[in-house]
Amino acid sequence: MAKQFEPKIVSFLCNWCSYAGADLAGTSRITYPQNIRIIRVPCSGRVDPLFVVKAFLDGADGVMILGCHPGDCHYQQGNYYAQRRYSIMHKLLDFTGIESGRLFVDWVSASEGKKFAEVVTKFTEQVKELGPMVLNGNEKFLEEKLQEAVA
Amino acid sequence: MTSMDVQIRKTAKKYLDEGKVSCVIGYERDSRGRVRPAFIEKPEDADHLIWSSECSLNLVTYLHQRKLSPGKDQPVPKTAVVVRPCDVRAVNLLFAEEQIKRENIKLIGLTCAGTEINGQQRINCKFCQERVPVIYDVLIESDQPIEIPTDKDIYADLEEMESWTAEERLAFWTKEFDRCIRCYACRQACPGCYCFECVAEQVDPHWTSIALDKPEKMFFHVMRAYHLAGRCVGCDACEAACPMDIPLSKLNRKIAKEILDMFDYRTGDTPEDAPLLTCFNPDERLRT
Amino acid sequence: MKVLTQKKLNAWLANLLQTTVVAAPVEAQGKLVYRKIDEVSQIVLDFERTDMSPKTWLFPMTEPILFIEQGVETKLKEPPKPEPIVLFGVRPCDARSLLAFDALFLDKAPEDPQYARHRESTTLVGLSCPQMWESCFCTAVGGAPNSTDGLDILLTQIEEGYAVEVLTEKGKKISANLVFEEKKTSLPDPKLIQGLPSLSKTDEWMALFNDLYWEQLSNSCLSCRACSFVCPTCRCFDVRDELTAIKPGLKKFERLRAWDTCTASGYRRIAGGHNPRDSQKKRLRNRFFCKFMFYPDDFGPLGCVGCGRCIDVCPAGIDILEVIANVEKMTEREKVGG
Repeated sequence: MAKQFEPKIVSFLCNWCSYAGADLAGTSRITYPQNIRIIRVPCSGRVDPLFVVKAFLDGADGVMILGCHPGDCHYQQGNYYAQRRYSIMHKLLDFTGIESGRLFVDWVSASEGKKFAEVVTKFTEQVKELGPMVLNGNEKFLEEKLQEAVA
Repeated sequence: MTSMDVQIRKTAKKYLDEGKVSCVIGYERDSRGRVRPAFIEKPEDADHLIWSSECSLNLVTYLHQRKLSPGKDQPVPKTAVVVRPCDVRAVNLLFAEEQIKRENIKLIGLTCAGTEINGQQRINCKFCQERVPVIYDVLIESDQPIEIPTDKDIYADLEEMESWTAEERLAFWTKEFDRCIRCYACRQACPGCYCFECVAEQVDPHWTSIALDKPEKMFFHVMRAYHLAGRCVGCDACEAACPMDIPLSKLNRKIAKEILDMFDYRTGDTPEDAPLLTCFNPDERLRT
Repeated sequence: MKVLTQKKLNAWLANLLQTTVVAAPVEAQGKLVYRKIDEVSQIVLDFERTDMSPKTWLFPMTEPILFIEQGVETKLKEPPKPEPIVLFGVRPCDARSLLAFDALFLDKAPEDPQYARHRESTTLVGLSCPQMWESCFCTAVGGAPNSTDGLDILLTQIEEGYAVEVLTEKGKKISANLVFEEKKTSLPDPKLIQGLPSLSKTDEWMALFNDLYWEQLSNSCLSCRACSFVCPTCRCFDVRDELTAIKPGLKKFERLRAWDTCTASGYRRIAGGHNPRDSQKKRLRNRFFCKFMFYPDDFGPLGCVGCGRCIDVCPAGIDILEVIANVEKMTEREKVGG
């Protein structure tokens, strides 16, 4: 039986809102796809666009950044900066060939466990449909990296 | 020798004679007849200065070499620089980012009908809508009328690329960047790239391999374009400096197009504009 | 002299392709570079100078020199031996650059194992220049458009095809099955550029080390690396250990060697932050002194073969031939006591 493509999704969750929201989803026993690899950051404003690019280069099929709702940032302004940065980054990545459906930025508060699960499910489906991230010419390099990692 | 040459030389001589600046950065011809940057420190050398449509290098980059005090208790040097309308917005950027002080710089502004490299008009000149610098201390005007191009289809090539699939775009860029040799000429020629240590060369954290021929080198360019979001003035010095003729300006122009659309902002119009990504409007809700 | 027609040359190359890798000038997105060919028709022979020199085949842009596995024990593995290749269509100036490489990497102990392996497995077939091109100055630095230094075979284009000079054992080996026609005419003389400046001697360069000229010259240098990367003789490099795989209890690294240059601002910066060449003037001066003074004094050959690529590529219009001419002028001035 052919193995179905399971995307690798790197998720940056801000400590005060979205990470707590993910915790709530867990304690409420709401199931969501297990494709995400969570990295906790203090604030969505901490997520450097370099992280996103590095994630794609190292084999991620999708990158998700979830922060506090605008106006509710624990550090007052972090998510506003993130909002500006990613509105631009999306366009740039899409222009260079990384489909805009592979980068997802949204706002999930600490009490929105259900929303967290919904958002993750939706994004995982989206990336599944787009298929594996293949940077032309990079696939051989990534394949070799994968071989070495499991060897 | 044109009337513009005469006026540039006169202005340079005046600034040097009066001790207003210690150096005038302009253009001169070398022994092969090619145009290159000139650094005039003595009034009598000002006769080397010229202006022609071959003057395609952005001289504002050189201000970074003269923005710090050369030693203990020594003042920051005062410099005059010959600027075209596209260059001078880079000067505004550097004022806004507090890299250079207004009082240390004299701007010899020129009206410009466009410059060319190897006989071909540069891309940003083809679509340039301004022929007079937005800021200057002295304005030297051409005695020929300067036409603003009527072809307003500035984004035709970008829109065409936007109509392709993502795969086709990726294939295009992979092909273009295949011949990149990571010489960093683009970065060095850019007036906006002045980091002491570029992320591309950092060992710790290790963002990208030093490998010169792995396909991931394309991401040096993506990151550089991103770091110039809201800061690139569209002078195309990067593309002019590239020894492999890679169409780098497309990335920067794409970002500039989106920024104009989303924020109604163009870099370098005034010296007080805060850099775009360091400010925000609490009411804005952008499509991320 | 031995002569090959174009047809026979193509047949010979097609034959070579069956048994060995052949790298030749091909067009890659508008630029002429030396790449592996699959068919003889890909080769471009009608060119002045390629955009990148063939040194990429003997001294690759990026090369792993060691593979390291760090687990319970540390295991080291050497990179695989390079396959034999024939580098075809090499200009005499580019071949002469190998003299500079050999002097450092082979003739002075310890030998560089990577370079030695590449050198041994590469056969160079040259194509002489019928004239000196616009920014060339090979004759000013001891070369010539028809020089045989560093080559295993030299081809010269003539009316009937190519005149062939087989120069070394390696050359004999790959041309063993070729049948040449014998012609009685002599090789044409290439057209030279007259009036080139003459290169000053190393002690004359040394006398000018502290001259103000270097400060003025380096004002326009952008510290990019373009000149060194297109140069056939530049051979400085950076070495970094890069993580390639990580899993519990095991880390894999490769030690990568990549081109670098003394004109880059961080090149000479050492741990602690001290930088002996912290100004553009010191770096650019070093570039020229390395080529014309330090390198010949330490190793013998000059660090420049007069190909002129740096002149074409420099975004700031720095011209190495102008530097040589100015040094000649300054030396004359010194001699006259000015």
